[in-house]
Amino acid sequence: MIALRDVSLERRTREEYAHDLKGRLLALATGRYRHPRRRAVLSGVDLAIPRGQKIGIIGANGAGKSTLLKVMCGVLEPTSGTAAVEGRVAPLLELGAGFDGDLTLADNIVLYGVLLGVERRDIESRIGEILRFAELTDYERLPVRTLSSGMAARLGFAVATAVDADILLIDEALSVGDESFRAKSRARIEALWHEERTVVLVSHDLSLVRTVCERAIWMERGRIVADGDPNDIVARYVRAVDEAAIETLLRSRVDV
Amino acid sequence: MVVSASQRRLIDVVRVLYARTLTVRYRGSVLGIAWSAANPLGMAAVYTAIFGHTFVPYYDGSLLRYGIAVYIGLALAGFFIGGTSQALPSIVSNADLLNKIHVPFAAFPLSTLAAWGFQQVVATLPLIVVISLFINHSVLHVVALIVPLAGLAMLAVGVSMLVSGAQVFFRDIAYMYELATFLIWVTSPIFYPAGIVPAAVLRLLAFNPLFPILESVRALVLTDAWPSAQLYALSFIDGALALAIGVAAFRAMRPQFMDLL
Repeated sequence: MIALRDVSLERRTREEYAHDLKGRLLALATGRYRHPRRRAVLSGVDLAIPRGQKIGIIGANGAGKSTLLKVMCGVLEPTSGTAAVEGRVAPLLELGAGFDGDLTLADNIVLYGVLLGVERRDIESRIGEILRFAELTDYERLPVRTLSSGMAARLGFAVATAVDADILLIDEALSVGDESFRAKSRARIEALWHEERTVVLVSHDLSLVRTVCERAIWMERGRIVADGDPNDIVARYVRAVDEAAIETLLRSRVDV
Repeated sequence: MVVSASQRRLIDVVRVLYARTLTVRYRGSVLGIAWSAANPLGMAAVYTAIFGHTFVPYYDGSLLRYGIAVYIGLALAGFFIGGTSQALPSIVSNADLLNKIHVPFAAFPLSTLAAWGFQQVVATLPLIVVISLFINHSVLHVVALIVPLAGLAMLAVGVSMLVSGAQVFFRDIAYMYELATFLIWVTSPIFYPAGIVPAAVLRLLAFNPLFPILESVRALVLTDAWPSAQLYALSFIDGALALAIGVAAFRAMRPQFMDLL
């Protein structure tokens, strides 16, 4: 279960925050120090996702979709409001984010698994199974840097989906590897899908959201602007995007 | 002791990161340890060759005792300075990872320090214990080393957390810490006897937390007497204090980390 209550997140604009102690002290001494401005990335997000619900998040780039996922998996803490997440979260965000190229595949499985929140003993006992799924059993004792990027993605996918999670957070790319593995990864995702799992899917693939989600939210500028049936929300979103495009088009003609 | 879920997770993460550092950095870990063992020995020999004759009156006229005193100083200061300097960039250099997976921040300085500490302990502690037993034939003296060494470990943890957290805010802390370690180096009686320092200055040096640790360990290894109760107690208290300050500062800084990484 996920319950976000009035979640707002502000971030300092990176350009204005000087990571420089000497400069900061000088600015303070001469009275020229100004607090860096803060930009609201999420504002007043209220969202309750019951256990087992499959929900899609749509919206333009920079609308706050990925940030919302980061709040759900605990990477970012809200500036105000509360984020309560019950159950183990498997973030399928950037697969293999915790890999170390110099370690062997087996060591990396343990490292990445523990970073994702699995207990060490648990993941150690599943190394074989994960390697088999990724079709990389022959590479067990080789360092990860010897793998091609597609193979590394397969390994990342295999570890991340081996985590026995209650909540799956998915950002875009569901399919990794070559054509045969893609079918396999899709099958695994579908298997994960049918169980009692909560799924939060961020995607620009609107037909995917319409077919696999039972609920959709549309985000714009850090706010939820619409929430409901995916067919309805996607239709409204598409209409708004079309209207905005037409308006821009018309305005450019007036300018000419 | 009851361990909470978040503490268990911290321990798990520290363990895998520690294992990673040891495997990656010290792939030929025997070679790494051999180097860590040889380095202070070689340096102690150089210091003895240069300063030995001048300082020998402070060591019962024995060059070897001076050499051992320097070796202990180099080993302990090396553990502290090397460990904290490596821990300093550990959070910032893992910014990418922290932006993708929720990992307890403290795991980075702690695992870096632990990997360094393991290597240093294996490389230098056995020799120090052997020397101690050889000089004063007292197991009790060896056991008593636990107190100042625990103080040193706590000091290193506290400072590591403080500087690794501060670096998130100010990336130029690394240069300043380099200067600070040089100050620690000079103001600790590592290669000179504390006896040559004028009394007025010595009172200031006593604020250097390495001072009571170094002097306690030396007293325990080099003499069959006991260090003064005050010095001995301070070697532990300074460390505990540094740990408390480091952890408190880290907790206070932590909520702002992700905004700046």
